[in-house]
Amino acid sequence: MPEIIVKYDDKVIERIVTEKKRISIGRTNENDIVLENRGVSRKHAMIEFNNNAAVIIDNESLNGTFVNNRKVAEEVLRDEDIIMIGKYSLVYRTEASHQGQAVAGMDGTMVLNTKRQKEMLENDRVEREIVARYGGSVLLGEENSEFSEFKLDREVTTIGKAKFVHVRAKGLFLAGIQAKIVQEGASYALHNLGKTGKVSVNGEPVTRCVLKNGDLITVGKSAFKFVEGKQ
Amino acid sequence: MILAVISDVHANLEAFEAVMRDIEQRKADRIICLGDTIGYGPDPEPCLDLAEKTCEVKLMGNHEYAVIGKLSPQQINRTAKISLSWTQDQLADTAMPRITDLPLAASMNDLYFVHASPWEPDKWRYVLSPGEADAAFKHFEQRVCFNGHSHLPMIFAFGDNQIRRQAGHDFQPNEETRYIVNVGSVGQPRDNDPRACYVTYDTTEDEVSFHRVAYDISKAQHKMKQAELPAMLINRLQAGV
Repeated sequence: MPEIIVKYDDKVIERIVTEKKRISIGRTNENDIVLENRGVSRKHAMIEFNNNAAVIIDNESLNGTFVNNRKVAEEVLRDEDIIMIGKYSLVYRTEASHQGQAVAGMDGTMVLNTKRQKEMLENDRVEREIVARYGGSVLLGEENSEFSEFKLDREVTTIGKAKFVHVRAKGLFLAGIQAKIVQEGASYALHNLGKTGKVSVNGEPVTRCVLKNGDLITVGKSAFKFVEGKQ
Repeated sequence: MILAVISDVHANLEAFEAVMRDIEQRKADRIICLGDTIGYGPDPEPCLDLAEKTCEVKLMGNHEYAVIGKLSPQQINRTAKISLSWTQDQLADTAMPRITDLPLAASMNDLYFVHASPWEPDKWRYVLSPGEADAAFKHFEQRVCFNGHSHLPMIFAFGDNQIRRQAGHDFQPNEETRYIVNVGSVGQPRDNDPRACYVTYDTTEDEVSFHRVAYDISKAQHKMKQAELPAMLINRLQAGV
């Protein structure tokens, strides 16, 4: 998959690896790459991917699109070409040039995909390493937890105050088995089995919730992060 | 109006003074300090004094919370514990009431200020992943939240039902988007750039800018050595990690 590295003042602010056939670039939210600067038009340009070729097309933008300092309307991109839009520079890399490179995590380089929300966290190095080590989805202990990492390798994982549950949680008035995480096909769902309000995902109380990568689960006073691993 | 937002000074007076000179040159009208003014560094009391003198709003950080005994010991790592007891010894009794009364969060028109996550600010959660940002966005109503805590300048943008994350850089907010802007750290940057970091928000131009300020790192390190603070805390300043 090709990669676009977005830079501002020569500093990498975002990396985008895409499976899409076409990505849009502009100032507003509906674009795949959002550049929030008034020098960028709302729908400034797009990149079309066709087999192994990529073409940048300027969308009659006010301030223009430049490739290697030359103003373009439509231009075939080559590896390491630099697209200039407003104060941003976007480095285009074909699949070959970045394959096998380690993906940087929290330390300055941001990793995004076009399927952003779901895939963003998968690329965080530390969590990728944990998931790779366990070969599946993992719970990370965040607060009041007896473990730092717990592999979800059962069809049903129980959470609560009782001694026999898989994941112990703390908190007043928690049930012995307050919640369970059930493997449902390729995904996991969290079920509250006790009093409502005692089980939350990302701060919202839930009765049943299909877990997404990076979700924060709280059961009573205990908190766990769900990191999804490929089966 | 130009608003300057600083965070995580961490008792580094050299960095703090350099940032204050920079802010003065930019003619900021108001300065907001998001907490962790103390801890790790060699000058807790002078930094509290400077914040008192210059910042209109000063928030509670987890290091202030620890100094007044509100953080349980298992929530504090080993080097932080050493610096915590050192800091407690340095601070005059008169400093304690000033710290105790610091608020956990503040708001100003359409802006919200907090040290860590808006989701239960006294839990000191990081906002680093989209999941964490998703939770955080649900716990403040304003358009833009400024925070610190991670020492990593970063922007989360929530619009069109998705969360985008970018490293800190100058930008002009979209009207239909909400933001969490991590302003980085004045006194202990951790994004591989050792220069002090802070943010200004020009409300007239509607522009958020990140600033990096060089300061006398070796002087700060020399003071830390004299105070016999942990070597790890001294060494990390020059690398910005």
